[in-house]
Amino acid sequence: MLVTKNAAELCTLLVNELYGQLPSRIVAALLARGRSQVRDLALYTSLNPKQVRHGLSLVIQHNLVFYQTDHETANTTYEANPRAAYHLVRVGKILDVINRKYGLMAKNIVNDLLMLGHVEIAEFVRYHKLKHNRKKATINGEQNHEYEHEHDLENGDTGDPFDDDSHYVNGNGTTHKTGEDTKPIQADEIFDTMAQLIAAGVVETVSTTMFQSPQDLKASVEQECMKEFPNGIRGAKVTAEFDTMVKSQIKAIGAERSTTKRKLQESALYEPSNIKRRKLANGAMSNGFAGDSGGSILRDEPNTVVRLNFDKCLVELRNQKLIEHAEDFVGETTAQVFAALLASLCRKVYRCQYDQHTIMTEEEEETYFTGVRVTTEEIFEHLCPGVDVSTGIGTASEDDIDIRFSEKIRKYPPQIKGSHLQGTLDEGDEIIGSDDEDYDHSGERPSGAHVNGHHHGSVTQNGVSYNGNHTREGQLSRTEQIRQMRQHLLILAEAKQQFVRHCGQNEWTVDFGPLVQQLRYVELDTMIEDSFGRQGLRLTRILREKGKLDDKTLPAMALMRKPDVHVKMAEMEMAGFLEVQEVPRDNNRAANRTMFFWFFDEARTLKRVLDNAYKSMVRCLERLEVERYKKKNVLSVTDRRDVQGKEEEMLRGDVYNEYLDFLDIEKRLLSQVSKLDDLVSIFQDF
Amino acid sequence: MDEQTTLLKGKLYAACEEACSSDPDRLFTQEDLTALDVIPPKDIKKLLQLIQILTNERLFAPVHLHSGLAWRLRPEAEAAKYKQLTSHDQVLVYEIIDAAGAEGAWQQDIKRRLNVQDNALRKALKELETKRLVAQFTTVENISKKMWIKANIKPSSRATGGPWYTDQFLDEAFIEALQSVVMSFIKNRGSYLSKGERGARSVSPLLPKKGVINGAASEAAIKSKKRMADAISKDDTPAVAQLAKPRKAIRLPLPAGYMEYPTTEEITAGIQAAEVAKGQPLKQEHVQELIDVLVWDNRVEEIRMGSRVGYRAVRITKQNPSLYSKPGDEDFWEPRSNGLTTVPCGKCPVFDLCEEGGPVWAGGCEYFDQWLA
Repeated sequence: MLVTKNAAELCTLLVNELYGQLPSRIVAALLARGRSQVRDLALYTSLNPKQVRHGLSLVIQHNLVFYQTDHETANTTYEANPRAAYHLVRVGKILDVINRKYGLMAKNIVNDLLMLGHVEIAEFVRYHKLKHNRKKATINGEQNHEYEHEHDLENGDTGDPFDDDSHYVNGNGTTHKTGEDTKPIQADEIFDTMAQLIAAGVVETVSTTMFQSPQDLKASVEQECMKEFPNGIRGAKVTAEFDTMVKSQIKAIGAERSTTKRKLQESALYEPSNIKRRKLANGAMSNGFAGDSGGSILRDEPNTVVRLNFDKCLVELRNQKLIEHAEDFVGETTAQVFAALLASLCRKVYRCQYDQHTIMTEEEEETYFTGVRVTTEEIFEHLCPGVDVSTGIGTASEDDIDIRFSEKIRKYPPQIKGSHLQGTLDEGDEIIGSDDEDYDHSGERPSGAHVNGHHHGSVTQNGVSYNGNHTREGQLSRTEQIRQMRQHLLILAEAKQQFVRHCGQNEWTVDFGPLVQQLRYVELDTMIEDSFGRQGLRLTRILREKGKLDDKTLPAMALMRKPDVHVKMAEMEMAGFLEVQEVPRDNNRAANRTMFFWFFDEARTLKRVLDNAYKSMVRCLERLEVERYKKKNVLSVTDRRDVQGKEEEMLRGDVYNEYLDFLDIEKRLLSQVSKLDDLVSIFQDF
Repeated sequence: MDEQTTLLKGKLYAACEEACSSDPDRLFTQEDLTALDVIPPKDIKKLLQLIQILTNERLFAPVHLHSGLAWRLRPEAEAAKYKQLTSHDQVLVYEIIDAAGAEGAWQQDIKRRLNVQDNALRKALKELETKRLVAQFTTVENISKKMWIKANIKPSSRATGGPWYTDQFLDEAFIEALQSVVMSFIKNRGSYLSKGERGARSVSPLLPKKGVINGAASEAAIKSKKRMADAISKDDTPAVAQLAKPRKAIRLPLPAGYMEYPTTEEITAGIQAAEVAKGQPLKQEHVQELIDVLVWDNRVEEIRMGSRVGYRAVRITKQNPSLYSKPGDEDFWEPRSNGLTTVPCGKCPVFDLCEEGGPVWAGGCEYFDQWLA
């Protein structure tokens, strides 16, 4: 993450918003000054060392700061972790997606984990039980003072500013209502859900190495390894040896980090060999785990420290976004099928982006280099049962469809070629001309069933003629459903954005890199079209496709009047979307003897847009601060313990209305921040 | 000039005329001329003499090529026009305009090449104009340039701008109308129109599905277990709710592998059949220009169908389903938006100045005031 001025400001504001002023001052100082020691920090922040240490312990708790202790001097330096600070903006979205995917219980657990930072499991279970069971008894009663520094946050569903839903913003305790209606939460349930989350990768176990920044970790590993080479590292052979040693050490660290996860995965949850047993057990169990399930493993290790794994959460958020885009470009039903594909595909995907510092386990490395793929069957297993796969695609006569093209198998991912939206799609063809004829035969139907199948297709599409024939549709055979679902997959594969790659017989994969790259341009186009209209979009896309053009060719290509083109170009150049290069035809450099070439600098524009998004977020948050100040009379009342949760009864009519106004403004600003975060995610994190 | 020479000259000209009957712009090099078998071989002197005579009589027009000198044939009627010219200046000017052909010659250019006085040039041009040999015209590429062309030919399509220009002005209304014709053609041929009537039907069959036992027992079993396997599965309600909302007529994508997306030829044929552009016959390349613009506008995308390239509409389910858009209609019933298009900052003209404590800041921002009001 490139920390620009705006990004640093944003991180500070976010920390301030969630954890208060002390940590935000420390984070701000660290972001501005780079890595520092306690005494430097005290200097920068004008706090005394005791306060600094207090603040540091809080930010370390939430992994907002990395630290590194030098062995020889025993000095500890601290370094900001801007990524983690930025992740705070996504808290609401993460809770939402966890709720949808893993259920309410999981959501509550993640919520509490977010408040506690990293915590021992036993401790966590105690906290969780206490909090939720007591809430039931007393309505939002006194705070639990055992966890002193979180106590703002515990209250914090109110203040948790990152939820879009209205009842969250307002929601003192309402969030948990549904979970509390029956019986008190059992420790077993917490253990089981936790086990499930760890196995899925949403929650990770914490090891000491995680408090070092990846760069530091690598450096210290290298130092360790250096001891094995007393004669220094010279020559290709020794260097190679050294590198493998470092790599294996780092891999060992990665393996150590995921021990618990693997154990849980193997135990009962996701191993295919256990599915049958699990299914049988499920018949009787209400919550899906047999006796020897993950919960018991965790119970045996109550001292395991856990925290939320943002990397995996990002994967879930990315899926969410991709589904939205599929819905936008293709259609609802197809998006549901895509959701099923992503759900089954991403069980093995633990992070969105890799760089040289990413610590990967064997398993991750494998999936990273070979890519994950799923079969049609697996996708069907994950398909939400409410989806009617027969809808959402038009009908066409069989003669018009060439199965060799629709079922074409593309073994290799498309190359990311700069940014051209055109051209990426058929890249695969040119590279592997040899398997032109390679297509998936499973899409073909036996000729006998042909007529019948086609007939059926028209029934589901046109429906009107067969109105009332519901029962027949209810009995759609599984194979027929799979066949129809495949049609959706094929459409996704054929789409210009190439949502899906048909990578083998009945096997599917998603090339996230190129796909996200396309989405970046989609967002950019959206922005350009919104600010400069259809014609502005046309001009920039011409430039993106053709490279540099002078202002004579451009109007002819765009079929626009020359003066109009000039006005638009100047406008866009002012806004920074276009750039112009002057090439003088002679030494005089007179304007009329100069050629002007327009061009579109993609990398720069993307970076600039990203920074603008940061800045807009900062402005929204600053505005929120101002609004709070404006309404401070009202808010100071609503902050009172005896008022919280029953504002409507306690407040005078006009004051209550003012309070509602403020909530509306807050909602709008925060939802705007979250929309901007969508943009940032696409441009940077996915 | 003896008789034999005159005869040979006539023969050579006739032979050349025949040789270039298929291609009036053909150029003849020295080799080409000897190959015509009119002049005795190796008699270069004779050839030189003949060419000299023909050039003097304006039946040959010399052309300089990279490879050397060549000659273009000039019809006798055209050559006769030179006889009307009275002054040397006129001849020179007319030669240049003649050579420029349909592209026309710029007055400044003529002046520069002949290196004559402005007055003399203007006089010559005026005389030529009164003799109805040349005419002035304007090119769309630069309206202010004074261009001259031979009176009996029409300016080239580059100068007039092709079908998109009417009287030197880009006919934007015409282009827009044609674009919407192309768009509706692509939409119609490359999508499936789903009428809204099936709203009720699409919901109800879903619900009994889960309860069905016969025939689909295995399926039901697998599904129910699958949900258990996820321990706490998400409820199905969102999906059902989505389908339950009343449907308008929308367009649906066609199955993958569809081979009948319209190609440029088909669209051209469609436009010709619809007779929307009667006065201006549209060629395929012109239609291609229209389609390209639609592609750049993000309204249409190209799709490979084997070796052919077809076109289909983007975001088909979000497109305005009616084929003929009235002016002012949105193309999409749900325009795309993102964070920066909705927040006031996205369009803020003073965004770069905006700074806490600066002249513009979030707290005192009037755009925010409007937006939050």
